[in-house]
Amino acid sequence: MVILDLVERIAPLAEGMVVRVDAGGPAGVELARAWCDRTGNTVVEATGQWIEIRRGRVASALSSLPPERRPGVRLWMYTNFDCNLACSYCCVRSSPQAPRRALGSERIAQLAAEGAAWGVEELYLTGGEPFIVADIGDSIRACVAHRPTTVLTNAMLFTGRRLRTLDGLPREGLALQISLDSATPAVHDHNRGAGSWERAMAGIRTALDLGFRVRVAATIDQNQPGALAAADQLDAFLDEFGIAPEDKLTRPVALRGFADSGLVLAPETMVPEVTVTASGVYWHPVGADDADMLIDTEVFPLAPRIDRIVSLFAEHAQRQASAAMVFPCA
Amino acid sequence: MVDRTVVVGAVAYTANVVPIWDGIREYFRGKEPDTDFVLFSNYERQVDALIAGTIDVAWNTNLAWVRTVNRTGGQCRALAMRDIDVTFRSVFVKRAGDSIASIDDLRGRRLALGSRDSTQAAILPLYYLRRAGVEGIDVVRYDRDAGKHGDTGRSEIDSLRAMLDGEADATAIGITTWESIGRDDLMKGTVEAFWETPEYCHCNFTVTNLDPDVADAWAARLLAMDWEVPEQRRIMEMEGLQRRWVQPDLAGYKTLFEAVEEQEIPLRW
Repeated sequence: MVILDLVERIAPLAEGMVVRVDAGGPAGVELARAWCDRTGNTVVEATGQWIEIRRGRVASALSSLPPERRPGVRLWMYTNFDCNLACSYCCVRSSPQAPRRALGSERIAQLAAEGAAWGVEELYLTGGEPFIVADIGDSIRACVAHRPTTVLTNAMLFTGRRLRTLDGLPREGLALQISLDSATPAVHDHNRGAGSWERAMAGIRTALDLGFRVRVAATIDQNQPGALAAADQLDAFLDEFGIAPEDKLTRPVALRGFADSGLVLAPETMVPEVTVTASGVYWHPVGADDADMLIDTEVFPLAPRIDRIVSLFAEHAQRQASAAMVFPCA
Repeated sequence: MVDRTVVVGAVAYTANVVPIWDGIREYFRGKEPDTDFVLFSNYERQVDALIAGTIDVAWNTNLAWVRTVNRTGGQCRALAMRDIDVTFRSVFVKRAGDSIASIDDLRGRRLALGSRDSTQAAILPLYYLRRAGVEGIDVVRYDRDAGKHGDTGRSEIDSLRAMLDGEADATAIGITTWESIGRDDLMKGTVEAFWETPEYCHCNFTVTNLDPDVADAWAARLLAMDWEVPEQRRIMEMEGLQRRWVQPDLAGYKTLFEAVEEQEIPLRW
């Protein structure tokens, strides 16, 4: 009697543990499925002969995340891929030689609208260097009209026409996230090119003087000696500029793009942040130039593609948890 | 202000007890009173520890409650119970198609009963049979996991198997076991229920020496657990609640007090 077997095998287990039960054939497997459904246990896998069951319901991978980090809350858009810099760790291989691959302001406006309709709460524009694109102002305004927007920039191009573009942007609902890797030029310039630190600092001052909310993001190579001390030094340095604690960010180097060392990342181990480029929809901005993170080469309509990413995330989480319970190493 | 940690005892009848009590401890964390827990291998040790003051609160079965009352001369108090504990009952079942139609038909038949310390699978079924004047039953005992008071369900599963294997004609199981095997819905064509006992009370949180103000604060915090909060609901579901913790209903223990006396069940085995 398969139900008695199930009760007997499941009862001693802690929630989350998995057991495989011989159901005696397809009818037994179906009965076991019905039993799981009724008693709040979870079918992990089944054949015509056996069924693998996890005690309890699978905790929702989504509910385990803070609301602001759940897939679909953020929508990233790569405005372009060309850049005035060629940073040594750039995860999407941007450089002055990279083809532009621009999304264009019309598609960005449509993405912002469809994203907001789906439930996206934050929009991010990145590149490449977004301020290279002539109509970046239109794209930014279109985004801000829908949701709070952050533009990632190296802040080195705030002169002439581009300065006028910057000054013409709304202050409300817009933040500029400027890259600065260190409190002094050495590390930053090593990563991003000679003289880039001074120009980035000038850009930060300009943005602050114009009344923008400025976030500062440092990319830290944790394998470098003194990296953590340097991060602390940068933190204190930014205090002098009045950068709020929540606007100071550090992130590790990812082994992606130009980087020859760094954190190894895979879609299966990452919480997705929906990302759109001219080439399609991606799992996460850090892999927006890599085939393993590509979800779909078609972008519109956006909603089903976001749904798919959310669904894939839940599948990954369940598969990983099951594997961990079924194959204990000791 | 309740400036102390309340230590709760629970019996570890399944590995799931650990995440349940980790969760309850987490629920109380940072609130007053703070709570920790100790696990016991059997209810007799737990009642000893409660009376000795080693623990402040015992998560007791109904039999452990009766024993605590009897050993303390009534100097104890029930703080709260699960909603399911207020409407507990035992279900008499038979093989599908058997001619048994009521408990009267058990005369001269074989009845499988579970552990001698299981109120739902042995003590109260016998009590109600005697109250109904049904005698001449051939009782087959499946005494398992003594000290756990039937919590593991082991003796009920063994009784069911024995009945299905033809070693008994009927058995009595707790409503929670009947639910866990899918009642008539999933057991259709295999097992049928033919009688249920009246409702009686099952588990409760028992205190003997705990300061009443602390006990009240602890119970209030427990009763405030919210089914609509996913993390709290997860704990409540694992512990078998249907929806909420409730105030104790001491009238629901009357039959068990009578059964313990009639069947001369000792204060401890």
